[in-house]
Amino acid sequence: MAELQPYNKLPALSCAVLLLVGSDGGLQQRLAEAILREKKNFKINIHLAASLPLPPERDHLRPRIDLVAFMIDIKSKYSLKNVEASLAYVDDSFFLGKVCFLVTGVGRVNYCSVEMNAIRNLGEVYCSPVLFCELEVEGSQVATAQRLLRMLEICAGHVPGVSALSFSSLMRNCADD
Amino acid sequence: MAEYLPEITNDSVCPVDAKEELLNECESIWQKMEECQSKLKVQGGKTLPKLDTTLSLLITRVKALQAEYNQWQKRTPEIISNNPDVLLALGKEELQKTKNDLEMVLATVQSKNEQLEEDLKRFQREQQWQEEQEQVVAALSRIEEEMKTQTEQLSRKRALQQLQNKMSKVKSYKEGLSNALGEFLGEHFPIPENGGSTKKKKSFEKPAVELITLHEILEILIHKLMNTPHDPYVTINDSFWPPYIELLLRYGIALRHPEDPNRMRLEAFHM
Repeated sequence: MAELQPYNKLPALSCAVLLLVGSDGGLQQRLAEAILREKKNFKINIHLAASLPLPPERDHLRPRIDLVAFMIDIKSKYSLKNVEASLAYVDDSFFLGKVCFLVTGVGRVNYCSVEMNAIRNLGEVYCSPVLFCELEVEGSQVATAQRLLRMLEICAGHVPGVSALSFSSLMRNCADD
Repeated sequence: MAEYLPEITNDSVCPVDAKEELLNECESIWQKMEECQSKLKVQGGKTLPKLDTTLSLLITRVKALQAEYNQWQKRTPEIISNNPDVLLALGKEELQKTKNDLEMVLATVQSKNEQLEEDLKRFQREQQWQEEQEQVVAALSRIEEEMKTQTEQLSRKRALQQLQNKMSKVKSYKEGLSNALGEFLGEHFPIPENGGSTKKKKSFEKPAVELITLHEILEILIHKLMNTPHDPYVTINDSFWPPYIELLLRYGIALRHPEDPNRMRLEAFHM
C-alpha cells in the first residue's frame, strides 16, 4: 500500500489532481501558484511532496492522483537521487503517461551538476516525457504551467479522444531518435 | 446534483424530462465507472522490477495501446440526445465557444493590422526623408560644380585683372616719368632764344629753321628707335640745335652713324 496507485480511487467530478515531487519546496510552491493562475474550466488540486512514499496516515483523505510530476533541479545532484529513489514507490501503470519529469534551472548553464545524459536516460527507461524549464523567468514559468495544465487535463480524461498513452510517443525530444 | 449538469443550469425554460433524461444518463455512466473501479481494485498493482524496467514497461504499453485500439474500433458515433432542449443548450454552448475563439482571432488580427499600419507609416516617413536628403545632396553637388566653374573663371579673370592693373601702373609710371623728364628738359634745356644770340645776330647767322627743344629731339630719336629698331638712324636737320647734338653725343646718349656724320641714333639702353 505504500505505492501510488492510479486507479484505486474514484475520481472527483470536474476535478483534476496534480502531485509535484521534488526536493525544492519553494520552487514547487511557485509552480503550483503559476498553474492555479491559469484559466481553466475544472477544479485543480495540487499536492506537494518532498519524496515518495507519501505518509500513509492521510491516505484515505487523498483524492485520486491524475498526474505526477517529478521535479529535478539541474544544480543539485541530490534532487536527482531523491527522484530516483521515489520512483520505486510508483505503480507501473502510472508510467503509461501519468508521469512526467520536470527539469528546472536550465537557464543557468554554468551551474549544471546533473548530466543531460542521466536525465535523458531516465526519461527513456521510464517511457515518460521530460520537460525543461526555468522557473525564475516569468515567460518560462507561465509556459510550463500551461503545458502541465494541458497534460493534466488529458490525464484526468477531460479531453475526449486523447488519452495519456500517447504522451510517450508524441512528446519525444526531436534530438533523440 | 447541480454539478452533474453544468450545461443547463442557466436554461430554466427547459422541461423537466430533459433534466431527468440527462440525470439518468449520468447516473448510468457513474455506475459503469464504479464497476470498472472495483474490477481494477481486485487486480491490485505491481511495482516494476529493478532490472528490465523498460522492457516490462514497453510490454505493458503495448497491451494498453492494443486495448485502447480495440476500444476505438468497437465504438460507433452515438447521438447524445434526441431531446431538443438539450440539443439547443449544447448548440448554444458550442456557438459561444466558437464566438469566443473568433473574437480572439479578430483581436489578434486587428492588432497585427495596426502594427503593420504603423510600420507602413514609419516606412513612408523614412522614404520621404530619404528623398529630401537626396534632393539636398543633388542641390549641394550642383552648387559645388557651379562654384568650381566660377573659381576657374575667377582665377582667369583675376590674372587678367592683375595684368591690367600692372599695365596701368606701368603706364602711369611711364607718364609720370615722361612728364618729369619733360619738365626737367624744359627747365634746363629750353629752345635757344634769339635773345641769347643777339650779339651774334649782327653777323649773317640767321636761324633759317625754327629750332626744336631737346625734349623734341629726344622724342624723335626714341620714336625712331622704338618703331623701327632695324633702322634707328635719324638724319640731322637744321632744326636740331648743334650744341644739343654735341651734348647728346658727348654723354653717350646718342651715337653718330659710323659712316655718315649726318645721321645719329639713340643709344640702345634697353638691350
